[in-house]
Amino acid sequence: MRALGRPSTTVPLILSLILVPLTVVLAFVWTGEDVDQGFSQKIFYLHVPVALTSYAAFGYGAFCAAMYLWRRDPEWDLRSYVGVHSGTIFGTLVLLTGPIWAKASWGVWWNWGDRQINVFLILFLYYCAYFMLRFSLDEGERRRSASAVYALLGVGLIPLSFLAVRIAETLIHPTVFTSSGAAMPSSFFLTFLVGLAGMLSLMALLMAVELRGKRTAMRVLELQRAARGEDA
Amino acid sequence: MIGAALAIARVKLVLELRRREVVFAMLLFVAATIVIVHFALRADDGAGPRAAAGMLWAAVVFTAVLGLLRAFAAEAEEGALDALLLAPVDRAAIWLGSALAQFGFLVVVEVVAVPLWWLLFFQEEGPAPLPVIAALLLANVGIALVGTLAAGLALGARTRDVLLPVLVLPLAIPLVLAGVTATYGAFGEEGGGFGPLGPLGFLALYDLIFLALAWGTSEHLLGD
Repeated sequence: MRALGRPSTTVPLILSLILVPLTVVLAFVWTGEDVDQGFSQKIFYLHVPVALTSYAAFGYGAFCAAMYLWRRDPEWDLRSYVGVHSGTIFGTLVLLTGPIWAKASWGVWWNWGDRQINVFLILFLYYCAYFMLRFSLDEGERRRSASAVYALLGVGLIPLSFLAVRIAETLIHPTVFTSSGAAMPSSFFLTFLVGLAGMLSLMALLMAVELRGKRTAMRVLELQRAARGEDA
Repeated sequence: MIGAALAIARVKLVLELRRREVVFAMLLFVAATIVIVHFALRADDGAGPRAAAGMLWAAVVFTAVLGLLRAFAAEAEEGALDALLLAPVDRAAIWLGSALAQFGFLVVVEVVAVPLWWLLFFQEEGPAPLPVIAALLLANVGIALVGTLAAGLALGARTRDVLLPVLVLPLAIPLVLAGVTATYGAFGEEGGGFGPLGPLGFLALYDLIFLALAWGTSEHLLGD
């Protein structure tokens, strides 16, 4: 806890307040309608950045888990937990916005032939179990290492699920949806990047706030123990 | 390290041979699962090889979880775990030895379950046996490695028995995908493009990746 500073909440707060509304404005005002999908394509500026952000949060959680196993500093364990937690929150959003888009553009709520959403589902199920594991162990070294090992194993699961789903695709679903091949207009891509930056700063904000809360809770616990005269 | 792992695996297998606690339950469970999934899908009326392949793999994975629930049971119940942890043995050896024992249990279960599956669903034309056997063996390695690691993580948990399936099943999804593809391909049907790697290559890759990840983290298992 000595070596690791406090992540700022101000910078991500300001960035999120600017970038998230800006994405909405750009998506509805600046970008034209997609030739292929029409208005429903607008959800792309929300869905895809949220999905990438969720991967980033899981990745951060796994990275902090590895750091914990290496350094044994409980701060890394907290950060890893916060990363997985934000990943799951954004993941829920992905699993909500994905079917909306699928319904609008393919006419079905769930498309088992779409590889991204299936990989996501596997990963989401996996990381949901993280919370069950974590909270059925008593607070302490054992819980921190078990959580870290589990969070870290997800790093192996992500590429393997991608490969497995991609590879078995023709078995599960004969048709593969490909984009029309036309390159994305620069206005689309720019809006997407703004959306991604907005979501990433929102993630950083949520993580910083949660981390602050967790630290305060830990500190309170320590003080309570000290007040009762126990050694922390 | 390898010697210690083999010794631990041998203890578990001998114990199982004397008590017959786990494998017998797994055998009954796999048979019941095959029958249940069969009635759920009616694989005999036209659902075809795809349903039969899926049935086998679903049954194998669920049965493996049943075995994993008892992976460290003897140690935990009789306090042998503390002694084992105090012994000058690498934790990786404890994990690897238990994984070897789980692999052994799975092989015994499949020796009975696969012929039963065959008999129930393919009187005439079944899949080519070799790819199915190879896929099962490779998947056994993966599920034993990953599942034993998860069992080690769940060991101190209050909700161990409900927790373990939830931890293991998402990890087993890629194995099932590849296993079903391999089994389906063994019918001579177009089994999906596993490309140059093939489903068997994928299973081997899975085993290697999780062997490395689990080995690297296994020193943190089983408590302090």
